[in-house]
Amino acid sequence: MRAIPLKSFASLAVLSLLVTGCGQGLLGGGDGAGQTAAGKDEPIVLGMLIPQSGSEAAIGPYMSNAAQLAIDEINAKGGVLGRTLELKTADDACDAQSAAAGANKLVTEGIDVSVGGYCSGATLPTLPIFGKAGIPMIIPAANSQELVDQKLKHVFLINGTGSQQAAAAEKWITKQGSKSVALMHDNTSYSKDIALRTQNLLEAPGGAEAAIIEAVTPKESDYSANITNVLAKKPDFVYWTGYFQEGGLIARQLRQAGYKGSIMVGDGSVSPKLVEIAGAEAAEGLYATMTQTPDTLEGAEGWIDAYKKKYGAEPGPYSNQAYDAVRLAAEAVTKAGGTDGTKVIAALEAIDGFPMFSGPLKFTPEHTLANGGFQILVVKSDKFALQDSLK
Amino acid sequence: MSATKVRRLGTDSPPSRASKLLQNRWAGLAGLLVALLAPFVDATPYALSVMTSAAIAVMLAAGLNIVVGYCGLLDLGYVAFFAVGAYTSGVLATRLELPLLATVPAVIVVTVVAGIVIGAPTLRLRSDYLAIVTLGFGEIIRITANNLDVTGGPSGIYGIPHLVEGPVAFYYLTVVVVSLAVLGAARLGRSRLGRAWRFVREDEDAAEAMGVHTYRVKLAAYVAGAVWGGLAGVLFAAHLSAISPGSFTFLSSALVLMAVVLGGMGSTPGVVVGAVVISVLPEILRDLADYRFFLFGVLLIAFMLLRPQGLWPARSKEVP
Repeated sequence: MRAIPLKSFASLAVLSLLVTGCGQGLLGGGDGAGQTAAGKDEPIVLGMLIPQSGSEAAIGPYMSNAAQLAIDEINAKGGVLGRTLELKTADDACDAQSAAAGANKLVTEGIDVSVGGYCSGATLPTLPIFGKAGIPMIIPAANSQELVDQKLKHVFLINGTGSQQAAAAEKWITKQGSKSVALMHDNTSYSKDIALRTQNLLEAPGGAEAAIIEAVTPKESDYSANITNVLAKKPDFVYWTGYFQEGGLIARQLRQAGYKGSIMVGDGSVSPKLVEIAGAEAAEGLYATMTQTPDTLEGAEGWIDAYKKKYGAEPGPYSNQAYDAVRLAAEAVTKAGGTDGTKVIAALEAIDGFPMFSGPLKFTPEHTLANGGFQILVVKSDKFALQDSLK
Repeated sequence: MSATKVRRLGTDSPPSRASKLLQNRWAGLAGLLVALLAPFVDATPYALSVMTSAAIAVMLAAGLNIVVGYCGLLDLGYVAFFAVGAYTSGVLATRLELPLLATVPAVIVVTVVAGIVIGAPTLRLRSDYLAIVTLGFGEIIRITANNLDVTGGPSGIYGIPHLVEGPVAFYYLTVVVVSLAVLGAARLGRSRLGRAWRFVREDEDAAEAMGVHTYRVKLAAYVAGAVWGGLAGVLFAAHLSAISPGSFTFLSSALVLMAVVLGGMGSTPGVVVGAVVISVLPEILRDLADYRFFLFGVLLIAFMLLRPQGLWPARSKEVP
């Protein structure tokens, strides 16, 4: 009875030891970080963590397609330092655990620079993983304050931060002459951060007053209780700082409840899906605080055409940031003369005036954009169009 | 004692080769050996990360197995204890700058208290009502974490220190802790208390009539499950270095429950296999992007249809 399992143990152990010869195991040499000394001909690999499943899955293709577009353009011009660029994507599902596994997967695949990161909550646990592997991160979309607060050397944000967005919102609210503002957020770090910062800015005497801060529970289908709370304060301006799914519902239910004032949404809600969910009637005239999108950029028509030609669809939110992240990574690697993490970080810090969609780039000492480039969009016949560039 | 058991087995109808293999008492050791040798096959950060997550899922499933599998208390908010453990160690480690190991006693105390606080009122309820109340408590813990300042609100806690340096060392530590936890749960299940749990599961009224203090016994199961979950939370916090309320949703509770049911309720090897399947399958399907969770669901349904008793069901030793 006992002999058989013992024998199978022995064979199992021998088998395992044999398999270790395959190279990726503990005895296989190297520290397993997958970073071989890159030869001249090897491609420079950029990694991108984006939501490809889950509630934010709609965003993923907008970002990876645009990144691929940038890579193809750079490769067509001869690549970087004579090497081609290559994109590897991984799904973070907008969830911490998936993101950590995805980041480790990218590290294993030997990426040189990370150009991903959409959901702040999912990006946060990936910072130490990339940091430990010495991989610089250019984060195109995620922008919560916690990403900045850690003052990590390898982390660069090319999206405007919460405080910059709140400043843009406050500017527009004041410009509209609103008196009483309702701020609504979904209790995610990114959304709450913008709402609280906007409230702080509104506290200055003279202008509008923040009448209520209402936190809603994401992924519900009926927000009438929240909307009743909000409308009880009789606001003439409602600012929703969360994502598009709830944003669309809230806009529709606000209008159904008879609300006549202005509605504004944050950059996480800027998506064609918002208009679909809210319905054309409720969405018409809705404002949004948003960084520059291809639709609102002067001189970006050629870029939109190139994107459409390649993918047969319009670029979407964060397409341009993802595109810029890749171009910026290529620029930094060129300046650094290689993919060495420390040198690339130094090159990124030294960049001054690199042309991007959001304007000439220069990083602050905190590795955020010196100029957030937020502007006000408005929904006109089912599309987000530029209302005011706040310049 | 084992000799009599073997003899009794022999008198049954001859078991198939497969079920003989499944009943092998060396299977647990073989599983441990596989876990210990796995890094020699693949020690990339990705593989280590997935395997560590799988080990943590095994610990959670072993803890929930005490509550659901042994004692038959349907808990739909088990991840609440996981959250309590992760947050307790995370908050203490980052605010007081304690090493993570020093937070373990506090985690045990807090999870025991949480188990009693949640269990004491709810365990007077039965079946469906208990399930609904535990579901509610799961959400209460998550929403509390989302709204408190000390837990970092919606963005959670970040910069949690490591337990040990390096992913390989941490993987081995996790495997050792999880093995002890699984072994401990299995031993508990075979103890006097464990028999009382099974009795309660089979017929609560009969158990009470026979002199089992059902309320106290159920509370013991609940508290044991809470401690297991809390310790898994410490490992989780150390593994991810950042925790946020988004990691402790109802879906996570449902997945752990699924691991227990899929593997075979009340069966120690079963829940281990179930937890590994639940945590590794989505990673294997990762490249499918959009279809990932669709296929995951289809596979789970297929498992349930083909093996409704679980992948590795518990073998009842008590012949009725």
